[in-house]
Amino acid sequence: MYQVEASKALLKPRGWATSAARLSVPRNVVLLGTVSMLTDISAEMVATVLPLYLVFSLGVTPLALGAIDGLYRGAAAIVQIGGGLLSDRLQRHKEVATVGYGLSALTKVGLVVAGTSVGGIGALVAADRIGKGIRTAPRDALISLSSTKAGLATAFGVHRAMDSFGAMLGPLFAFGVLLAAPARFDAVFVVSTAFAFLGLAVLVLAVRGRPGRAVAVTVDSLPSLRASLGTARDPRFRLLLVAAGGLALASVSDALIYVGLQRQSGFEPTVFPLLFVVTAFAFMALAIPVGRLADRIGRAPVLLAGHALLLPVYGLLLSPVGTAGVFLCLLALGAYFAATEGVTTALAGAILPDRLQATGIGMLITVVSLGKLGSSLAFGALWFALGLQSAVLLFAAALAVALMVATPLLLRLQREQAA
Amino acid sequence: MSRGRWLALIGVLCAAGAVGYLALAALDPSPVTTKARPPGATGPPTGLAGSRLMVRAVARKDPGLNGHLFVIKRGRPRALEGDLACARVHFAAGRGLCLSTAPSGVSYEATIFGADLEPVERLSLAGLPSRARVSPNGRYGAMTVFVNGHEYLGAGGFSTRTSIVDMRDGGELGELEEFDVFKAGRRLESPDFNFWGITFAADPDRFYATLRTGGRHYLVEGSVSRRRLRVLRDGVECPSLSPDGSRIAFKSRIPGEDLWRLAVLDVATLADHPVGERRSIDDQPEWLDDGTLVYSDGFDVFTVAADGSGSPRRVLRDATSPVALDLNL
Repeated sequence: MYQVEASKALLKPRGWATSAARLSVPRNVVLLGTVSMLTDISAEMVATVLPLYLVFSLGVTPLALGAIDGLYRGAAAIVQIGGGLLSDRLQRHKEVATVGYGLSALTKVGLVVAGTSVGGIGALVAADRIGKGIRTAPRDALISLSSTKAGLATAFGVHRAMDSFGAMLGPLFAFGVLLAAPARFDAVFVVSTAFAFLGLAVLVLAVRGRPGRAVAVTVDSLPSLRASLGTARDPRFRLLLVAAGGLALASVSDALIYVGLQRQSGFEPTVFPLLFVVTAFAFMALAIPVGRLADRIGRAPVLLAGHALLLPVYGLLLSPVGTAGVFLCLLALGAYFAATEGVTTALAGAILPDRLQATGIGMLITVVSLGKLGSSLAFGALWFALGLQSAVLLFAAALAVALMVATPLLLRLQREQAA
Repeated sequence: MSRGRWLALIGVLCAAGAVGYLALAALDPSPVTTKARPPGATGPPTGLAGSRLMVRAVARKDPGLNGHLFVIKRGRPRALEGDLACARVHFAAGRGLCLSTAPSGVSYEATIFGADLEPVERLSLAGLPSRARVSPNGRYGAMTVFVNGHEYLGAGGFSTRTSIVDMRDGGELGELEEFDVFKAGRRLESPDFNFWGITFAADPDRFYATLRTGGRHYLVEGSVSRRRLRVLRDGVECPSLSPDGSRIAFKSRIPGEDLWRLAVLDVATLADHPVGERRSIDDQPEWLDDGTLVYSDGFDVFTVAADGSGSPRRVLRDATSPVALDLNL
């Protein structure tokens, strides 16, 4: 394992590594967290400046990308399942994830080289989304297979905390580059490219492709397509899909909660980025402790409690709120993410057979993201038709029903696992 | 070589590349005045006086030139004095409005400037600059910005914020989302309201703008002092009132798409006709005089006859945000 030692000295994850050792989080998980952190820094640097770049340097509005973006959001869901299936079929999670991370890294080079054509930028944004779709399921499968079943939620907590840290650093780095070199978007793209390739290098050179629980590859052990798709027929996994999908349908997206808060407290829209930062910070700070708690007392109760945290958030949206209310709301939202994002995947990781981890996780992520998309569309339509208060009340009722249905399902799942 | 060594090598290369490039970009001495010269421009930077048209540069290959202002003087492009670099710009009767990035690089600001191109007042903006207009008498300014966070509310997936300011001191006179809207005498209300693209009449209390709600794009007529808006007709975006006040040039959406044709409507009858530009144009057109429109396709600046005759003429390459200037400055 000397290669990990060397990478540690280079990337200075010593702090991470020591605290990870105390948490007994496998090194591979910390390394995957490092890959995600570096990749998120890279991605968020570009996301922060892209609209501005379009308007300022190319003389077009961000609308020029809007149509493309909508088109590929649907495609990304399919790619997610495909990435998981392929990854399990070959039992090569690291290689499939590398293709996804590599594709996204190449799009950053593309921005440097061909960043002056609007059509070209559209294609690059699409390719970046596809890369993200490909890598998510195999990456999460690797995290799961690198951990013990007892430490899954902690492992995902560590990964999500590092991921979220990267997402917070990205805009700051973009800010720093433009402060040093005003209007030099090309410099932002070059620095972003460097982070992307650094992340890719850590993945290729340091992350182990066949961690602890990985399946020994023989021709017979490769799952057939039928066996893969049969994952969805496992009654326990199906319980999880139904519960997680139903809860997602009743969860209002953070973007809409921010808009609702703005309506109820009247702060300036300039504050929007700050809301994201506070939520991401709470998510980052809580992801690891909440993950540990989930491993100790059970993932199902933590997941349910996380969704229940949305009820007071909805409550705050019903009437005018002050600064303290907004702050509480954001903390609750961060805690909700900490108790649901990684924990849901950990639940899946515990249920799924080792050779079908990526397939199942891909399906789960897709179901949850489609559920959230549906909830956003429904909430927007209800807000438009009935007003904010009625929309919030209806969603609170829906969430209460979803919780009442999901609680016995998930608790049964937990008892069966314990048995 | 071991994997650890490779990783160290790649790390050093990435860091050196990023830091080196950033250092070169930061030390590049060219960003403002030295290189800010449009293609074909001659002579030293000049003032606004005696110029017919002001534009902002779009230089895909030359970040130092982007957003810098220049004018057409005696048929030739000339760089303007001062350090203004704008994403959107407008000017009338001695007062200008420049929407740009703040010095921090990632937030936005509006600068009110005088005929000498020196800043008078700076205001922070809530989002990405979209449209800027100054009333013909230079008293009022209007700006539209894109605001993030409202994505899922509107059918088109974006949200705008349009406000009117006093050009003397930058004081805010109103934000269109706070105005009362009436359609056929009845109050219209919806959380999905989006406003953009103000154009002022000679008396700047009266103005026109676009209101999008429920998938429709209404031309509205407003009063700053009464804080009211009245819906006139459907299918009009980014209106621009002619100097004589009789017609409105606008972009007319091709149904179901983010593509637009330029058209002109008669204020008295609200009937419209297309102009000779056949490509899709996403710009708030400007009137060069009572018979001619000037606009940008995002790359170059064109003129076309307002009566629908003739075809467009390219007047300048690598420029957007054209502003017609009074000759008697």
